[in-house]
Amino acid sequence: MKMKIGLEVHVQLTRAGTKLFCGCDSDYRVYATNENVCPVCLGLPGALPVPSKKAVILALAAAMIFNCRIPDAIVFTRKHYFYPDLPKNYQITQYEKAGGAPVCLGGEFEYLDPDTWEWRKVRIRRLNLEEDPGRSVYPEGSIVTSRHVLVDYNRSGVPLLEIVTEPDIPSPRAARAFVEYLLLSLEYIGAVNPRLEGAFRVDANISLEGGERVEIKNIGSTYEVEKALLYEYKRQKLLLENGGQVKRETRHWDAVRRVTKPLRHKEEEEEYLYMPDPDLPPVLTRPLISEAKERLVTLPRHVFEWMTSKGVSREVAWSIVQVQHAAQLYKEALTSGTDPRLLARFIGVDYKGALKDLQKDVHDPGNWPEPAVFRKLVEYVQTGAYPLEAITGIVIPKLAVNPQVNLESILPEKASNVEEVIRIVIKENRKAVNDYLSGRRKALDYLVGQVIRKVGKKAIDPRTVRELLIKILTGERERRERNS
Amino acid sequence: MTTIYQQLQTGDYDPVEAFEKAWERITRHEKTVNAFITIDDYNKLRVKAEEASKRIRSGEPRLLEGVLVAVKDNISTSWLPTTAGSRMLSCYQPPYNAYVVERLLEAGAIIVGKTNMDEFAMGSTGEFSAFGPTRNPWDLERVPGGSSSGSGAALAYRAVDLALGSDTGGSIRLPGAYTATVGLKPTYGAVSRRGLIPYANSLEQIGPMARSVIDTALLYKVISGYDPLDATSIKGPGIELERLQPADPSKLKICVIKEVLEASQKQVVAAFTRVIEKLEANGADVNYVSLKSQRYVLPTYYIIAMAEAASNLARYDGGIYNCGSLKMPTWEEQNIRVRSMLFGREVKRRIAMGVFVLSEGYRDEYYVLATRVRRMVRDEVLGLTRDCIIASPTSPVQPPRLGERISDPLSLYALDLATVTANLAGVPALQLPIATTSEGPVGIQLMARPWGEEDLFNTGLLIEEITGLRGVYAL
Ligand SMILES: [Zn+2]
Repeated sequence: MKMKIGLEVHVQLTRAGTKLFCGCDSDYRVYATNENVCPVCLGLPGALPVPSKKAVILALAAAMIFNCRIPDAIVFTRKHYFYPDLPKNYQITQYEKAGGAPVCLGGEFEYLDPDTWEWRKVRIRRLNLEEDPGRSVYPEGSIVTSRHVLVDYNRSGVPLLEIVTEPDIPSPRAARAFVEYLLLSLEYIGAVNPRLEGAFRVDANISLEGGERVEIKNIGSTYEVEKALLYEYKRQKLLLENGGQVKRETRHWDAVRRVTKPLRHKEEEEEYLYMPDPDLPPVLTRPLISEAKERLVTLPRHVFEWMTSKGVSREVAWSIVQVQHAAQLYKEALTSGTDPRLLARFIGVDYKGALKDLQKDVHDPGNWPEPAVFRKLVEYVQTGAYPLEAITGIVIPKLAVNPQVNLESILPEKASNVEEVIRIVIKENRKAVNDYLSGRRKALDYLVGQVIRKVGKKAIDPRTVRELLIKILTGERERRERNS
Repeated sequence: MTTIYQQLQTGDYDPVEAFEKAWERITRHEKTVNAFITIDDYNKLRVKAEEASKRIRSGEPRLLEGVLVAVKDNISTSWLPTTAGSRMLSCYQPPYNAYVVERLLEAGAIIVGKTNMDEFAMGSTGEFSAFGPTRNPWDLERVPGGSSSGSGAALAYRAVDLALGSDTGGSIRLPGAYTATVGLKPTYGAVSRRGLIPYANSLEQIGPMARSVIDTALLYKVISGYDPLDATSIKGPGIELERLQPADPSKLKICVIKEVLEASQKQVVAAFTRVIEKLEANGADVNYVSLKSQRYVLPTYYIIAMAEAASNLARYDGGIYNCGSLKMPTWEEQNIRVRSMLFGREVKRRIAMGVFVLSEGYRDEYYVLATRVRRMVRDEVLGLTRDCIIASPTSPVQPPRLGERISDPLSLYALDLATVTANLAGVPALQLPIATTSEGPVGIQLMARPWGEEDLFNTGLLIEEITGLRGVYAL
């Protein structure tokens, strides 16, 4: 059954440095309760909002990703609703129907669907820059039943991008791919660290042919986006196939039970009393455009396409692009003599895989070595100084344990030395050699063992030894055949 | 009558003596006048006065060294409660100082206390204070004008030398007119609003009040200036006190608004005309002009002010502002209870009307229309003030008696007939006394182009010379 999915993604500008209208920290997670606050973000009477230049620049950069026509000025509006975690009981946002001017109206965005390697297009309806509310806890139930409400205002005023799409997304899986690629793009422009807890929230709406639109509120991860939509798709499909009706409603995703549930209270027609914020003159965008543009120099798509153009496979390229620091490393490590595919493999497959095996954070730059290290590794293989297996099997796993280690100290015995040892072993073990050459494959294991024993405690990959042995013994057999 | 400015210049100002005399008057009259909501502790103030005297003796006085200043109670002070005249904020003491308060402290001023006012600055008579009405020192049965009622009254009975008010639609100038004091509503953006508890942000400014034009200019110099933490603050030209001098009447062009004159009481018109005729006799070019948008200014002003008020006052939800006294079963009930109990009638009236004009379906015909008419008013005023000082009576009437207008909102709002125009247009306006009669004082209002404060002060100095009403006081 065909479906239409639209998304509303709220992304915190965790890297804006400050909150949207005051000097408090944009990343509130490290603070004790109500420690990251000031008169402005507490909404104290007389405290005045002053727009953060950085947040506006980041929002403009996002608008440029969406190919929006940038308005000459951004005009903030007040949206009123009473809620315990909203200190002024209004939120400063933009609303064009009440004299406001959002950062973007009518754009488009292409995201990569890694299932098909297609770039899919989604129309962007709007992009708003607004303040995040605080966080409230109801110790005895809900807002209607609890005798108390505890509020932490550390989050209050954190800059939030609200991105609303048209219903252009064809499947729950594509919805997940969209959100992932969107977050990646916003990470690349330096706006957000999407892995921080609560850095983004998604509302999704989905309608099937013959049914009404259902909205699912407050989904907290990209994985849940797919799960919630899939659940909702199946629920609606079943309903429609059995002659039922899908009514227009708002549901909420219960991540624990993995079901969507209707919101208990019927939402009334909301009255937000929108008005332009008289404390905030229009923010002129023209003087900020060039600074916003600078942030678009490297987007995931640029890196991805540049890498695949160098012959790197899409899988490996995508693996690297997904980790911004890895992409950066790749760009810095690649010089004219470096094999782009080998480098990509080392970074995107072997090293990233080694970090994952060690359960280390692939996004932490501290877990990665300098670009020169990767360049060296590629060079070793290209010049034949070390066999590929020695690098992938020994060096990279060791490097992943300690990326700052001196490379020389973890390199295995050079291949040439090993070859000498092998020749000695061949001379000393004629019987085993003859056995092998006459077809007794097990003799090879014995020879490998002998070589490793001779090399001693120094690290060497048995596979490398085996390959070298085969190479040398094959030469030996060919010589014998020629002689006879 | 020497001004504070002169005394400071000549070194005749003795902070300890000035404070002791003022404190004596406060002790004698404050109970009846009720100009203050909070007065700081005598001993603390006395120490500050002594320190100021020392500083003067050591030859390092600052611009307002030891000068006694009253601050309207909607301007945040970190060491004194700031109530905005409301029960809602009766327990509120801000954790920070308003920009203007910081400037006052830097200049060496002594802040004596926080003055009474109409609740959240919503009122024109001073009667809507949750802390009781202020009485007019010139006639205790009359109102002192509002909403900066306490600041006007405190100046009139010489409890202080200077005072800060705030002016959203005439709240500095009406008390000025009714208490025979001088007050300036500055150009929008000239004085930071940071720390001013908002009523209608796009209209209001904090402004100086005093008993003479030069003292008003002195206080304006201290409090004006660019504040990067107020997004509506503007870098202005500033003011040089040494350059101020009575305007040359032969170079003065005055435009009198016919519509305001026509709507004014006989006695007011008479006093006003006497001054205008003297100016004309001295060579001023006097024109009687029509302000075509005059008939729209009151509805336009009130729609915009109430819309912004409804929005600004949404934050008072009983979460942190209710002294912890009211505890209802749920947050929603608490909210409703606190707002119905702790806001006064007039505040609730204006919130209700503000919500109405912003509501879906009505916003366009009220709020949006009002913002459009506002631009029309502004354009007309900017056109007129390009080469003209606009003059009119400040209030169409003399100070009403207590209780006279309180129950009829329309007649109450009509007091602002002449004053709201400057707020809608963002231009500066100066009030100064032109007569004191048995029915109370009468004031003149002068409006100039944006940043025309210097022209206003110079014209004010000239009128002071004509009327002789410099430094007058009651009681
Ligand atoms: Zn803050």
